[in-house]
Amino acid sequence: MRTLRQYLRALLNAKKLLAYTFLLCFFLWVTTPFLMILLKSFGRNWFGKLWLPPEFTLDWYKWAITVTNIPEVLRNTLVIAGIAVTISTLIAIPTGWALGRRQIPGKEVIMSTILLPRMIPPIAYALGVAQIFYRLHLIDTHLGVAIAHVAICAPYAILVLSSTFEGLDERVLEAASVCGANNLRTFFHITLPLVMPGILSSIIFTFTTSYNEFTLTLMTYGPKTITLPVRTYLAVGEGYWEVTSALSMILIIPSLFVLFMIQRQVQPEKLVGGFKGV
Amino acid sequence: MASFLKKHRYALISFVMLLPGLASFFGLFFYPMLVTVVRSFRPEGVTTAWTLRNYTDFLGQASTRQVILLTFFLAIACTLLSILLSVPLTLLLRQKLVGHRLFRLTILVPITVPGLVGALGLLLFYGSRGWLNLLLMQGLHVVEQPVKINYTLTGLVIFYVWHYFSYTAVTTLSTLEGLDPAFEEAARVAGASPWQVLRHVVIPLIMPGILAGSVLTFMAAFGAFSIPLITGGSYRPLAVQIYKQIEVFTPARWEAASAMAVVMALLQLVFLTFYMRVLRRPTAS
Repeated sequence: MRTLRQYLRALLNAKKLLAYTFLLCFFLWVTTPFLMILLKSFGRNWFGKLWLPPEFTLDWYKWAITVTNIPEVLRNTLVIAGIAVTISTLIAIPTGWALGRRQIPGKEVIMSTILLPRMIPPIAYALGVAQIFYRLHLIDTHLGVAIAHVAICAPYAILVLSSTFEGLDERVLEAASVCGANNLRTFFHITLPLVMPGILSSIIFTFTTSYNEFTLTLMTYGPKTITLPVRTYLAVGEGYWEVTSALSMILIIPSLFVLFMIQRQVQPEKLVGGFKGV
Repeated sequence: MASFLKKHRYALISFVMLLPGLASFFGLFFYPMLVTVVRSFRPEGVTTAWTLRNYTDFLGQASTRQVILLTFFLAIACTLLSILLSVPLTLLLRQKLVGHRLFRLTILVPITVPGLVGALGLLLFYGSRGWLNLLLMQGLHVVEQPVKINYTLTGLVIFYVWHYFSYTAVTTLSTLEGLDPAFEEAARVAGASPWQVLRHVVIPLIMPGILAGSVLTFMAAFGAFSIPLITGGSYRPLAVQIYKQIEVFTPARWEAASAMAVVMALLQLVFLTFYMRVLRRPTAS
């Protein structure tokens, strides 16, 4: 009897061991590529069959800053992301409010329509956006690239904000009106502070979407509006892997910040979410 | 007029508030899409006449069928492998083993990090001097020469799964967490083995979640652009082919590219409609 129990416990441990091996392999499979980029960006003379670079250097970061003109590229990226986030949020607050709090006939249809840009390959409408922007002389301007980003960011922001507005507690708003606050006052003093976390998470996600956006930027950028993803793509084409790695390490920083935020509070479903209708 | 305003005040306010969202949809998606569709029916370099030549040319080429097949192959292979990875992974994460929060966060890494950076890291990792080949050659002594993974079809499938499995995993995980444990307990009390519980109770119950997540993975993989652009080598799925029409040719072949984009969008819509129909069908078992 005792041996049987021991045998069973060993089996259980073996099962646990197997589970951990699987999870660890998964973890390494996802993360080692980044470790290799990190090492590549600091390593020198890393050739042949070596596991680690023999020497470490900061040269590639210096190269990245001088040769690929990082300060200007970073400025472009941040300015574009800033404009895109502002426009998307300004669009999403009223639309999200209407979709979340008002009784609208055919709400589901409107919601699916607004989300349609996420169901079509971006390259399909990027072609149209590029042609329209050529006509309007918006190509190679910060505003132009930012507006192109809104095409992807706005549906996302609307999705997050409409579910935030929908989740508001009706009783709090009723209490405000009972206490004599008019609609506008209720909105600015009660509703807006309550949905602030939703607005913030929408801002964070639209910011990273714009910061990482590649397809639409590639179709609308020019020499004056090179962003970090485009610069990285060009650097890959030029073939300097070390400098490209250094660039990637800079490019990755906001994403790490977002991951940190997610770990703190936001539910991961929100990141994917919104396909309730599926 | 005033009475009309008063009567329909509620609807009017709703409509005005909806306007910004609708305007961005029509201005930044619907109108560009319309421009793409119209341009696809224009003869090359002409802006007035109509023609079907862009479509007949594109669909008539022998290589077209291969490109479409490649796109579908990559998307479907990626979707299936993502499901195969996500189900055991999420079942393990659900047991709340020590460190499960870290693994949970790991799932989100590929969709939060820019695709280009991920692609670069994968090229380094799977390259002839990357750690995988070093492990195979020096660690395990399985092979003499480095295995070629980058720029092959196998490699591309691996890269796709790395980039897009997250959608399936996250959706499956949240469905699994919402599952009432009473079902499993009932099955176990009734004498079912753990495997039987998994096969006949858990999997059917989380199937909607798995399928919904796999739709997202499929859409992302079908429309993938930056990953195959950098890591595809000679394998060019539809999105890359479209971009090449603009980048390689001078003057850019907007008409041909537009026709290809319309075909691509239609293929995705048709496939999605079909998929959702299967999805919505009540499972008989």
